[in-house]
Amino acid sequence: MTQDLIPIYIYSRKYYVPEGSTIITALEYLGFKLKKGVGCKEGFCGACASLYRLKGDYKLKGGLGCQTVVQPEMQIVQIPFVPAPKAVYKIEELQPDPEIFVRYYPELYRCLSCNTCTKICPQELQVMDFVQAAVRGDFEQVANLSFDCIMCGLCSARCPAEITQFNVAMLARRIYGKYLMKKSTFLEQRLKEIESGKYEEGYRELMSLSQEELKNRYFQREIDFQIT
Amino acid sequence: MGYPDYMYESIKLVEATRPRRAEMAKEGLQKFLKPLSAEEREKVLRDNHPDYQPEARKPIRVGPNKGEHLTSEVVDILERPSRLPRDFKLEPVDYETDVLVIGGGGAGCQAALWAAKNGAKVILCTKLRLGDANSMMSQGGMQASVNPGDSPLIHYLDAIGGGHFDNKPELLKIMTSEAPYIVKFLEELGVIWDKLPDGHYQTQSGGGASRRRMLSCRDYTGAEIMRVLRDEVRNHPEEITILEFLPALELIKDEEGKAAGAVLFDMETGQYHVVKAKVVVLATGGFGRIHIRGFPTTNHYGATMDGLVMAYRAGARLLHMDSVQFHPTGAIYPPQIHGFLITEKIRAMGGQPVNAKGELFVYPMEPRDVEASEYIQECKKGLGVRTPDGQYGIWLDSPLIEILHGSGTIERAFPAMFRQYKRFGIDIRVLPMLVYPTLHYQNGGVEIEENCHTSVPNLLAAGEVSGGVHGRNRLMGNSVLDYNVFGRRAGIEAAKLARETEIKGRLNVDHVWEYEEELKGEGIETKGYSPLLLPEYRNLESLKRHRTEFDPFAPAGL
Amino acid sequence: MTRMPYYPGCTLKTKAQNYDLSTRAVFRELGIDLVELPRWNCCGAVFSLVTDDLLRQVAPITNLIRVQELQGTDSVDDPRLVVPCAMCFNVLKRANARMKDNPEDLKKINDFLYLESQPYRGEVQIIHTLELLKEISAKRIKEQVKFPLLGLKVSPYYGCNLLRPKDVAIDNPENPTLLEDFTQALGAEVVFNNRRLRCCGSYQTVSEKGLVADLVYDIIMGAARAGADLIITACPLCSFNLDWRQKEAMEAHSDHKLIPVIYYTELMALALGIGNGFGGEHFVDPQPLLQKFLEKEKGGI
Ligand SMILES: Cc1cc2nc3c(=O)[nH]c(=O)nc-3n(C[C@H](O)[C@H](O)[C@H](O)COP(=O)(O)OP(=O)(O)OC[C@H]3O[C@@H](n4cnc5c(N)ncnc54)[C@H](O)[C@@H]3O)c2cc1C
Ligand code: SF4
Ligand code: SF4
Ligand code: SF4
Ligand code: SF4
Ligand code: FES
Repeated sequence: MTQDLIPIYIYSRKYYVPEGSTIITALEYLGFKLKKGVGCKEGFCGACASLYRLKGDYKLKGGLGCQTVVQPEMQIVQIPFVPAPKAVYKIEELQPDPEIFVRYYPELYRCLSCNTCTKICPQELQVMDFVQAAVRGDFEQVANLSFDCIMCGLCSARCPAEITQFNVAMLARRIYGKYLMKKSTFLEQRLKEIESGKYEEGYRELMSLSQEELKNRYFQREIDFQIT
Repeated sequence: MGYPDYMYESIKLVEATRPRRAEMAKEGLQKFLKPLSAEEREKVLRDNHPDYQPEARKPIRVGPNKGEHLTSEVVDILERPSRLPRDFKLEPVDYETDVLVIGGGGAGCQAALWAAKNGAKVILCTKLRLGDANSMMSQGGMQASVNPGDSPLIHYLDAIGGGHFDNKPELLKIMTSEAPYIVKFLEELGVIWDKLPDGHYQTQSGGGASRRRMLSCRDYTGAEIMRVLRDEVRNHPEEITILEFLPALELIKDEEGKAAGAVLFDMETGQYHVVKAKVVVLATGGFGRIHIRGFPTTNHYGATMDGLVMAYRAGARLLHMDSVQFHPTGAIYPPQIHGFLITEKIRAMGGQPVNAKGELFVYPMEPRDVEASEYIQECKKGLGVRTPDGQYGIWLDSPLIEILHGSGTIERAFPAMFRQYKRFGIDIRVLPMLVYPTLHYQNGGVEIEENCHTSVPNLLAAGEVSGGVHGRNRLMGNSVLDYNVFGRRAGIEAAKLARETEIKGRLNVDHVWEYEEELKGEGIETKGYSPLLLPEYRNLESLKRHRTEFDPFAPAGL
Repeated sequence: MTRMPYYPGCTLKTKAQNYDLSTRAVFRELGIDLVELPRWNCCGAVFSLVTDDLLRQVAPITNLIRVQELQGTDSVDDPRLVVPCAMCFNVLKRANARMKDNPEDLKKINDFLYLESQPYRGEVQIIHTLELLKEISAKRIKEQVKFPLLGLKVSPYYGCNLLRPKDVAIDNPENPTLLEDFTQALGAEVVFNNRRLRCCGSYQTVSEKGLVADLVYDIIMGAARAGADLIITACPLCSFNLDWRQKEAMEAHSDHKLIPVIYYTELMALALGIGNGFGGEHFVDPQPLLQKFLEKEKGGI
């Protein structure tokens, strides 16, 4: 496949890179040895947050360097991370109470509902909506709306109210997972079984089998995808 | 973007067989397709699996495993000299601590947390940011026997069969019996597991598992667990010092030969930092980025086998480093996501592997190595779909999921995957995904025992860097479990050991020089250094005018 | 059932849930199903009421776009937005008026909100719950009363947000009668407190507790002199101040008389026979009074 080269600007300088490159592969193509601003390369870690503008468009856009395909005349910088205060807390001492945000992230209530965070989010999350859900103490809503947040930091870099949306959401999700989700009753039973040594005899037996016997046991085991 | 026009010929065939295949799935695929027998498995593996090819392995000439056949690329990297200059001085000591954890993935975070809980002062150093790790990326889930029809024993049996009966039984017993506790522990930290309305865990089947045992957090399982662990580590600033962008380069020992710290390397400034520690926990993860046999990989950028190299030089024995896990379903098109993992949960929920003619050609839930070999075989037979750059793949028929579970399922259960493809103009609710095996997991590693000790005193290891628990093939969902179970154990053990330990005499890196002598003794001369620290993707053309003296990462032979 | 868009506001979702729950219950009883906007954000009053900064208008206008979105579906019959919180009502209504008066501002805001599904067209109508009750009419309400509140002396309190500034007022700003009219419809006795339009001190309550306590003392004593058993309000902040600042008022003034404060919707719920269980935290517990009253009703004394 022959590749066409297109012009892009990185940290203000003009370069030519193959069409179809992502921001990260374009940088690598040009000889940048990436030591920051890259992590999973698959859109899961948020290490590669980048800001860019397209030709003829005043909008400042955000994207993941590993997922954003370059376009002609694109202006690009990377934002390896955004300094963000993280509240230190003992999760076991918290309550699922909206007051938590007042205590740990009081700036949350400065939200102007301007939606700037939603505009920049590379995961296309409704960031403002989850910030607002936090304002009114709706933990479940925050958890659902922010679940796919990869903590890239772009939202907080742009927020006029200087909120760290992703840290607020992190706290809300942990509270939700720990205190508000329904617990499994069977898990407790299983833990008791294990603690009481119910499976010890079984393990002893399995571990004493000869290789041959073990293989037979394995290949003859029943396959059952029912839950109970 | 989207698929090139010519591929639609084949997509039409897939669409034509889809209704019939949906019927089969509803009746239960087991009725139509049988999993392979032991002999059939052997054959398809021997004929197709990359590990079984003639140049896949070679003997290593130095170190504790001398003479054993290991994966060739692993041998090449192990047989390189250190990056430390010969006149290197371990002075002054920059940091002193009870426990040094190397690696900021899941295993490292668990170890740091539990060491701190047990009274130790901890330093956690990591190459990229905390959490930039394979742990962040797992999508499918974690195994634990949390259903009444299941038990830790069945989990054990599944895992040992999947591992070709090579697993260390005592490790496997620990992992399977502590799994339900880990589920609870993570939930108490605030991990949001997928649940049914009554609070019970939603579970899926997984390759090689005989029960539904896969717990998940949508398809961001790893991200959810990892970000909670990371948040919790950061909730202990008094006990745990985090050093980001500061990878370890070599281990340090005391005069008794105990591990006693590490040399860290600032990749930006080129400075060294010396950490003195009573106990070292190695949690550096796997090796996907060494691209064995040229395969693309699912792994994160920092997965370059560093920990294994450092430990081997320090005298730690390796186990099962002759086997590599290829994940059956890596994306092979579009090129921007070449190698990306497509979670096994897609198949667990009914996405079927079909060939260019639209035929379902394999039982979708074989253990990974078998499943991957089947795909390679199908492509060899000429029944794969060609990509514009001349590679081959088979279809993974995701639209079936919408048919079987109702429309909207894909967006709800696979938001990450859906988003990934949408970015490149492919809607996986209506179009299948083109896949081929991709390099995924380091099955073996530094051999450990129940409390994570390696064969070097005071050097513990946990997670993907360690070897033994999975034998020669890990089942889906068992490595997230592995790093949680053994990361925790390593932390507890490290704190205990730190209380009993006294560092004796002079700190040194003599083992590094001895290893280099051994290399010389064998007449081994290689280009480049190890550990790699970072993979190399720069365009060779761009490096032509490169001044290597400014670049610690200059490729060998430039 | 007539379905109408409903904006509860944050306070009704947190500190004033009893206002939210009783409002929904009462209107359901009167044949109106309040459909909460599927997405909404704080209208902004919690931070500041400054109106010269256009960015502050974005928050209320975003909510009005949500109303348009809801109107576009078939989930509401009457398109007007119902708002119970006096503060939110004030903010939303003023922002709306500003957009109608200043097409330039509206254009700028719509430009800024380019991510939204549609621009704001400036046509949403906003109605306060009390206005809606007036439409339903005191007569209708009277017909539906199950337990007439005979003998209960109720003092309505308006505060300022419902009546000021004049162009968003829900009633005659100098001499409102809305709360009185329908208190009567419930069978209760209206007592007139000449402090019923006084400011309660609003957000000063955070930094100037003492000052607010003095205002509250004045207001409550006005009601006490008129012989009130109970005060009703239509605003969560008024309600909070009038109730909780009685603590400081009591400490500062030995003659202070404690009077319970509830929302008018809670009072209605009682009379309509819907119940008494909407929760809510109080400094002066209204339950002894309400319980006594309920027993009397049921026992037919
Ligand atoms: C895409 C993908 C999907 C997966 N899906 C699943 C799944 O569904 N279920 C399952 O069970 N498993 C899954 N796995 C496997 C599982 O996620 C990993 O095996 C596991 O997370 C490994 O954890 P770890 O802590 O040992 O290593 P990692 O999480 O990789 O952490 C290692 C850390 O060490 C750092 N490091 C490396 N070298 C150095 C150095 N020299 N100095 C300092 N730090 C260093 C790395 O940067 C990294 O932060 C998946 C893996 C991938 C890549
Ligand atoms: S950018 Fe900040 S102020 Fe604006 S909506 Fe988002 S959180 Fe609120
Ligand atoms: S919410 Fe913020 S931190 Fe999270 S993914 Fe979106 S922009 Fe990034
Ligand atoms: S003004 Fe107050 S009550 Fe109304 S929405 Fe905003 S914060 Fe909530
Ligand atoms: S009375 Fe108090 S709270 Fe109520 S509207 Fe006026 S100042 Fe605001
Ligand atoms: S490198 Fe992880 S999201 Fe891009």
